[in-house]
This record gives sequence, structure tokens and C-alpha cells, in this order.
Amino acid sequence: MSARNHEQWTSPPKLAEGEWVDSRIYSDQTIFEEENEKIFKHAWIPVCHESELKDAYDFRTMTIANEPVIVVRGKDMQVRAFLNVCPHRGNMIERRPSGSFKEGTPSGTPKRMTCMFHAWQFDMKGKCVYISRQEEGYQDRLCTADVGLRELKCEVYFGGFVWVCLDDDIGMTVEDWAAGALDCLAPSLNEEPLEVFHYHKAIIPCNFKLWHDTNCEFYHDFLHYHNRITGFNDAYFARKNSGFKNGHINVGSFEVQYDNYEGFHSREELSFPHLPPNHWYMIDMFPGVNFNLRGSALRCDLMTPLGPDKVMIEFRGLGLASDTPAERQTRIDHHNSIWGPFGRNLHEDLLAVTAQGSCMHPSAEKRNILQGRHENETIHDENGMRHYYHEWGRWLNRSPSNPDEEFDEALIAAASAKPAEVQANA
Amino acid sequence: MAEKHASTIEQIKDVIYKSCLYQDDLEWNSWLDMCSDDYHYAIRAFSPEIRADMEYMGGGLEYMKSLTQMLPKHNTDNSPLKRHCTVYKVEVADDGKSASATSSFVVYQTMLDGINSHVDAGESRLFLVGRYNDKFEISNEGVKFSDREVRLDTRRLDKGSHWPI
Repeated sequence: MSARNHEQWTSPPKLAEGEWVDSRIYSDQTIFEEENEKIFKHAWIPVCHESELKDAYDFRTMTIANEPVIVVRGKDMQVRAFLNVCPHRGNMIERRPSGSFKEGTPSGTPKRMTCMFHAWQFDMKGKCVYISRQEEGYQDRLCTADVGLRELKCEVYFGGFVWVCLDDDIGMTVEDWAAGALDCLAPSLNEEPLEVFHYHKAIIPCNFKLWHDTNCEFYHDFLHYHNRITGFNDAYFARKNSGFKNGHINVGSFEVQYDNYEGFHSREELSFPHLPPNHWYMIDMFPGVNFNLRGSALRCDLMTPLGPDKVMIEFRGLGLASDTPAERQTRIDHHNSIWGPFGRNLHEDLLAVTAQGSCMHPSAEKRNILQGRHENETIHDENGMRHYYHEWGRWLNRSPSNPDEEFDEALIAAASAKPAEVQANA
Repeated sequence: MAEKHASTIEQIKDVIYKSCLYQDDLEWNSWLDMCSDDYHYAIRAFSPEIRADMEYMGGGLEYMKSLTQMLPKHNTDNSPLKRHCTVYKVEVADDGKSASATSSFVVYQTMLDGINSHVDAGESRLFLVGRYNDKFEISNEGVKFSDREVRLDTRRLDKGSHWPI
């Protein structure tokens, strides 16, 4: 058989359950809304880095699962997170992406979060400290103590990233949530303070999971001339792809041969602490976060789903806060050469997922998206994606390969056992 | 002073516009031939998110030559980019040996293969907004770029570009 007819094309592939997904999980409006409700509102999300809030009264704003969030550093230097919503009329309190509350605003006084609409004011701990014409309007029926902001769970963890969770009852710390997935990079990121030097965003017409898939599988290095020429040796193909509890994965390291790409050079001189020269680790956190350390520069991708076929990806680049200006410039050059918006690889990845998105819009027929490669859980094995969708199925109680059916843990577990010939070669 | 350097100012405007045409037509060698040996190129933007200046691409003449030679080996969005540039200010040094210029530009992208060509090909979209901050060396041989800062206002870069702007 060569080309297939419609029935053959849409039939289940000759792979085990759990080794393909139904493309509707990338395009269905109901599933997208369920993901926001059942996953993103209950997961720890690294919304920014503490270096974006250096001083007391600094703030950053963002969105988790369509909920506006504000992160502020208090006078006590603690970082706290709140819904960025005024308890009075539901207005967004702070509209800027970042700034400082040290300065007053047209409706408010310094060192306060002020809702411009009716001038209600809040301190950096979320306490309401001023209601305009309070006694005239509310008499003794409502006072400032009754209308504090909605505080959110917030931790600074893993090299200074600020993690926020909308669920008060998540019942675990970020460390518990990571379940060991961050351990491979923790010594490098926790040794000394880090600093963000790069931020840009992309809004791509594809489902957020397609970007996460691309970060989870390295088989797509055939897309990247740079990665083929600087990798693709025995050490590269031996990199382990490991799954962790809660749907996280990481990809082990090897020494990248940057000199093999014309115009590029070794990054040995500026390796992060405890990282062997030119090594490269990748961590993918459920449901849509990526940490990527290539020797001298750390990248973090944060996905914010905007629709079943639309995602905002925020890209951050980080170096050491102790960098000299020359060291920082070198790190920036290293970062940009591959990962900048005009770099060699990022543009190619974005092109690829855009093209996937073009084939998986909400009205497209369902297709089978394969993730059945088994290579002893090394870099071109697709076990990372399988691990992710196992977790995804659990959270939504939907089968990834047929989202109309309930998730069957036992069926997936049995099918995800390695094929006999792979076990024999392990 | 402007009168004294009037012909140089016109020469500099011509150089900037000619460089835009070379870049539009992907004639990278012709563009880089207009640059001095110590030329430096950078794309930068200020981020109100992290409240810092950022550099998105940067390098000297050799780096830019290497970059433009290597890019055909990469997958790319082949949708053509066209620069619409207006030179607003040219200042020539008293000794006439150097100059600086500020130009505003927009870059339009006419879709070809970046998304779904059946639907999108042929549509022109605004791609980037920014300024060129240029410096020049002036000698008997003419005017050469010594430095270009592409200062972007646009910071949402969905597919970006492999190519210098």
C-alpha cells in the first residue's frame, strides 16, 4: 500500500494505544476551555523572574487561564501575587506590563496599587487601605478590611523564578510539583543570582501543546541545520529522555560542537556554574513551560493558551547577575545566535508549529498524530510526549487518542511498556 | 554648516536608500560592500516588560558575512520583506570625515509560504516598525556605513526573520 484512501488515512495507526493522539486535542474549543479550567488553574506556573522585580514596590502583570495576575515586591522584599482585579467593580487594577508603585498615579498615591476607576487603594500585601468616600457610600456596612485583594499562592524557586498557582488547595510546593525534574539544573541555577536580559513574545496560530511537543521531542532536529551540524554524534544520540511525576520531562546533556557551525565558537568560557563546558540540558514542565540551558545562556519559554488554535509564547533569556558588561554581551550573542527572534533555530521552530497549526484548525478533520518512536528513551524516542499526554489524559479524563472516551490508565500503562525488541537492546 | 555639507548629506541619503534596496532584494554582499571593515550591526529594542534595553541580533562585518552566507542552509519564511524608509536627520562632523543619520522605517511582509500559502500568499502585512540609527565614515572613496543600530518598536515577533533588517 502506498498512498491511502480516507478510511485508511483515518484508521488507528499500527501502534499501541498511547503512541498517537487525535488531532482534535489541538483544535477543539471545548477541550481548550477544559484545559484552562482543569489544568492551568491548578498548576504552578513560573510567570516571571525575580530580577524583573528588583526593588520594593516593583510589579509585573500577566495572565493565567484568562485571569489577570499581578506580582509585586513588598517593602519587606517579599514577592506576592494577587488577582489584578479590583474587588469593587471588577476593573483591572494595573494595566502596564511592569513598573514601580513608588510613584503615584493620576488616581492614586505613591506606594499603593490604585484602581484608576474609583480610586480604591491597596498596599503591597493586598490589603485595601482606602475607599473613596467610604462612609458616605457604605456607612458602617462595608469597610476596607472586607475588600482586600484575592491573594494567590506564590513562591520564588529554581534560580529565582516566580511561580504562581491560582488554586489555594494545590497542596504541594513548587519543589513537590517539580518532582525532581528540575534537579539536573538546580546546582547551576541556584549557585548565584540570575538576571533576565531578553524578553520577547510570539503569538502563533497553533495550539499550545504543539509548541510544548516541539520542546519535548528532539527528533525534529532534522529541521535545524545548526543542531545537525553541531550535534548528531554518538553522544548526542545517547542523551536520555526521562519522565517525572506530574508530566514533566528532561533531556540529558552532551557536549555541543559549536565550532562545527561556521562563525560560531565554543561557549566554554562562560559556562553556568557546575555545568560542563558547552553542555545543554532541557526541562519541559507540565503543562507548558520549558527551561533550556545551553552552556552560557538560559532560556525559558512560557506558554499562555489564547484559544484552541492560538498561543502566546513568552521567551526569556537569562545570565548571571554578576556578569561584567563584556560577559553579558557574549551571553547575549550566544543566546541570540540560536534562540533570538532573528536566531538560527527559533524561527525554524515557529515556522514548523505554524504549519502544524494550519493543518489542525478547529474545523479540520481529525488526524492521527504519531508519537510512537522507541529508542531506549534516548533523544529521538518520543517517550517525552507520551509521558506528557499520559498526564494530560489523567487531568482531563479524556483519552488523548480518542478524546470522546474517558482516560483508561490501565490501558495506557499496559500499552506504553517498551516493545520487546527495544527492551532487548536496552 | 548644512549648506557646506549639502552634497555629502544627499550622498548619505542615497547610500541609506540604496542599502534598503539591496536588502529588499537579498543582495547581501552588495549591502555589506557598503560597510567599513570595522562595521557593527545590531537590532535592539527597549522592553517595557523587563524594563531594559535588549539586543536581538548583533555582530561585526565578518559575522554578518558569515551569517548571510549560512542562511540559505536554514529553513525560513520566504515571504519577501520590503523596507519603506525615510531619512529624517543627517549630521556631518565638522571635519567632514564622519556622519550620523536617523531614519524611520516600516517593513512590510508579502506572504508567500509562512502560513498557508493557498490562503495567505500575496497578502501584505506590516512586519516591523522602527528606526535606523546609522553612522558613517567619509573618505575620498565615498561614504561607508560604520555602524547601524536597528531600533525596533515591534517586540511581538511571531516568526521573526533570519535576515538582517
